[in-house]
Amino acid sequence: MSKSNKSGQKPTGSDSMNEARLEAARKRMAESRDPEDALEGLREIAANFLGSEEVGLFCVDQRTAALQAYWSFGIDLEKYDLRRVLGDAGLRQVMLGEYYVGTCNSDASGRAQAFIPIRLENETIAIVAILRLLPHKHAFDKWDVELFKILSNEAAAALFGPSAHSKALATGRG
Amino acid sequence: MAKKILVVDDSKTALMMEREILEKRKNYHCVTAADGQEAVEKAQQERPDLVLMDVVMPRMNGFEACKAMRQQDGTRETPIVLVTTRSEESYMEAGFQSGCNDYITKPVDGAELVALVESYLGE
Repeated sequence: MSKSNKSGQKPTGSDSMNEARLEAARKRMAESRDPEDALEGLREIAANFLGSEEVGLFCVDQRTAALQAYWSFGIDLEKYDLRRVLGDAGLRQVMLGEYYVGTCNSDASGRAQAFIPIRLENETIAIVAILRLLPHKHAFDKWDVELFKILSNEAAAALFGPSAHSKALATGRG
Repeated sequence: MAKKILVVDDSKTALMMEREILEKRKNYHCVTAADGQEAVEKAQQERPDLVLMDVVMPRMNGFEACKAMRQQDGTRETPIVLVTTRSEESYMEAGFQSGCNDYITKPVDGAELVALVESYLGE
């Protein structure tokens, strides 16, 4: 029997299938053995659910607001200028906790890229960059956005383990 | 009795989603394998009604596993659907030459997956 959604309506067949994707992503993050396994989960979510085999994770230095390349798959982040790609407005949006979708300028495809804040205790402690999409995927849909929200709100502890808490505490509050 | 599907992927995330869809939402019985070698062995033991298999995997990839299953009596006729991120025609052709029946690309559309599975399992 299918469950009802928030509006009290039963989800359509397609909605139910997309909810399965969200549940799987949530479960994968929650059941990660350690941060290394969570990073593997992030790579799998990007490839299997979002359609990208280029993904990066940047940490936000809470004292200086510098963005530090932390981990990547399929791209060398040392040559990647996230601050330039996001621009001031995009960076501000992500730091305030909203995802940001831009256009890939590194080729002529015009495909979307997404930048997802990883939040802990009302702070953006890291940014996930979903970069070049697979050739048959051109844009993000509403279910991808739901997935961004899950990553944003639930992935911090899995990705950074106990240090996630200290990253959040290292803000201007302390 | 629920039809049995052998779901093969080295990604825990993909396995979780496919099980969510096929077991919890469609009442199929799923058995899983994490690479092609394990899939060939499990297919012989479990005799699934359908195999849903990733292509890029360690030890033995999906094409090789597909070929191996086609050489074994128990799985010669079993429907095999390959799942991969690659959509190029040449890649799909290689899949069909290995003996698969069908092909679906990642990110998998759940409704499309169910329709494809049902088309082979007659439901």
